[in-house]
Amino acid sequence: MKWKKYLSLTRAGILEALQYRLGLFVMVIGNLIYLIIVYFLWRAIYASAGTDVVNGMTFSDTLIYLVLATALFAFMEMYIVWEMGRSIQTGAITLTLLKPMSYRSYSFWNCAGGVIVQFFCTFLPTFLVVLLVTKGAIPLGINLLYFAVSVILSVSINFSIDLFVGTICMYTESIWGINIMKQVVVLLLSGATIPLAFFPEPLKTIAYCLPFQSIYNAPLSLLLTANPQPSVIAETLGMQLVWSIVTMGFSRLFWQVSLRRITVNGG
Amino acid sequence: MHRGLRFYFCIYRKILAQDLKSKMSYRADFIISTIGMICTNISGFLSFWILFQNFPSVGGWSYYEMLFLYGFSLVAMTPVQCLLDNNWSLRYQVFSGDFVKYCFRPMNLFFYYQSEVFDVKGLGQMVFGIGTLIYAWVHLELACTAWMVLKLVVYLVSASLVMAALQNAAAASCFWIENSFYLLDLVMRFKDYAKYPMTIFNPVFRFVFTFVLPIAFIAYYPSLVILRPEAVPLLSWLSPLIAILLFYLSYKIWMKGAAGYSGTGS
Repeated sequence: MKWKKYLSLTRAGILEALQYRLGLFVMVIGNLIYLIIVYFLWRAIYASAGTDVVNGMTFSDTLIYLVLATALFAFMEMYIVWEMGRSIQTGAITLTLLKPMSYRSYSFWNCAGGVIVQFFCTFLPTFLVVLLVTKGAIPLGINLLYFAVSVILSVSINFSIDLFVGTICMYTESIWGINIMKQVVVLLLSGATIPLAFFPEPLKTIAYCLPFQSIYNAPLSLLLTANPQPSVIAETLGMQLVWSIVTMGFSRLFWQVSLRRITVNGG
Repeated sequence: MHRGLRFYFCIYRKILAQDLKSKMSYRADFIISTIGMICTNISGFLSFWILFQNFPSVGGWSYYEMLFLYGFSLVAMTPVQCLLDNNWSLRYQVFSGDFVKYCFRPMNLFFYYQSEVFDVKGLGQMVFGIGTLIYAWVHLELACTAWMVLKLVVYLVSASLVMAALQNAAAASCFWIENSFYLLDLVMRFKDYAKYPMTIFNPVFRFVFTFVLPIAFIAYYPSLVILRPEAVPLLSWLSPLIAILLFYLSYKIWMKGAAGYSGTGS
C-alpha cells in the first residue's frame, strides 16, 4: 500500500498533462520545425565537409543523435525549476511541505505523470519516425535494453540537477535567470546541441568530467552502438549510476540545509 | 484617443523611471538574469565555434558570415526583449482580471501596457550582438561607409518589427485561447532558428519559412543586403515593407483582443 500514494500522484500528473492538449499539439509542431531545421542544417554541413565520416560519425549517426537528444530533452523537461521557483515566490510551497511526504518524492512522483505522457507523445513517435526514415541505422538488439536502463538513470540525474537548481531559488528568487543558465549549460555540455564527439580537445575532456553528459550522451551512445564492448557498457552505466547517486546526495543535502532558512511570502 | 508623440514620449519616460526604480530593489535578480542572458549568448557563440572547428563552411556560408547572421538576429531581438517584455505576463493579467486596469487609461492601450515593463537585461544581449556583428564585419572586410551603416540600421529595425509582430500575435492569442504560453515559447524559439541561412533548406521549406512562418525575415533576408550586396533578392529589399505590414497586423490583432476583453468580474 506504500506505493498507492505515489501512484495516485502520478495519475494526477498524467491527467494534468492531458488537460493541455493544445499545448501538447503546439509542442509537437515546435519540435517538428526544430527537427526540419536540424536535418537541413546538418545535411548542408556534411555536404560541405566533403567526407562521409567526421569524427567517427556519419550524417545519419549525427542526425539520429541530435533528433533523439531533442526528443529526450522534450520528454525529460519537467519545468521543476519554474514550478519550485513559483511556489517559493507565491508561498504555495508551504502546502506541499505540510504533506505527509517528503518534498522530493512529492515532486518526483507528480512530475512522473508528465514524463509518462511526454514519453508517449514525443519520444516514442520521434523514435519510430527516425527508425523508419533511417532504415536500420539504429541497431535493434540488446542495445535497446541498455538504452532503457540508461534513460532511467538519465531521468534520475536530470531530476536531481533540477531539484538542486530549483533550491537555489530559495536564496535569490531570480527564477528566470537561474533557469536559463541551467538550460544553457545542460544543453551545451550534455551534447544535445552538438554531439560531444565534435568538441575540440580540452572542452571534450571537461564535458566528459561533468555530470551533464550522462543525461543525453550516455544513453544515445549506448543506443547507437550495435555490439558494444562489455567494458564500455559497464563504464557508461557505472558512470551514470555514480552521477545519479552523487547528484541525488548533493541535491538532498542542499535542500535540507536550505529548508531551515526558508522564508515564505505570506501564502 | 489621439495624442501627440511628445505626450507619449513624456509618459514613457515617467513610467520607465518608476519601473527602473522598482527593479533596483531586486538587484540580485537583475545581476543573475543578466548573467543568464550572457551565458545563453556565449553558448550560441560556442556552438558555432565548435561546429567550424570540424567543418570549413555550412552550405557555402563561412564562419564569419554565420556569426554575422547570429549577431544580426541578437541585435534585432533587443527591442522586443526590452520594450515588449510585458507580453509574457499578458495571459496572467487577462486571466486574473488585472488587465482591466489598463482599459481605463486615456491613452493607447497597447502603448500603456507595453510601457509598464522595460527589460534591462536585453541590453546585455544587444552589447553582445553588436560585438559579434563588429567582429564578423571586420573579418569579412566589409566596407564601413555611412551608406552601409544606414542600411544596417534600417534592416535591423525591420527585422525587429517582424520579431515583434510574431510575439504580439502569439501573446494576443491568450484573449481567445487558454494556455498561450506554448505559442509564445514557440515564437521565442524562432529566434534561435533565424540565425541559419535559408539556402540550406529545400524549396518547400524555404517557402514555408518565408511565407507561412516568416522566420527568414528575422535575420536572413535583411542581412543579405549587407552580407551579399552583389546579389540581393527582391524579398530582401521588400523586407522593411513586409515588416511594417506584419507589425501593423499584429497590433490590430492585439487591440482587437483587448477591445473584446470583458474582464473576469472581480
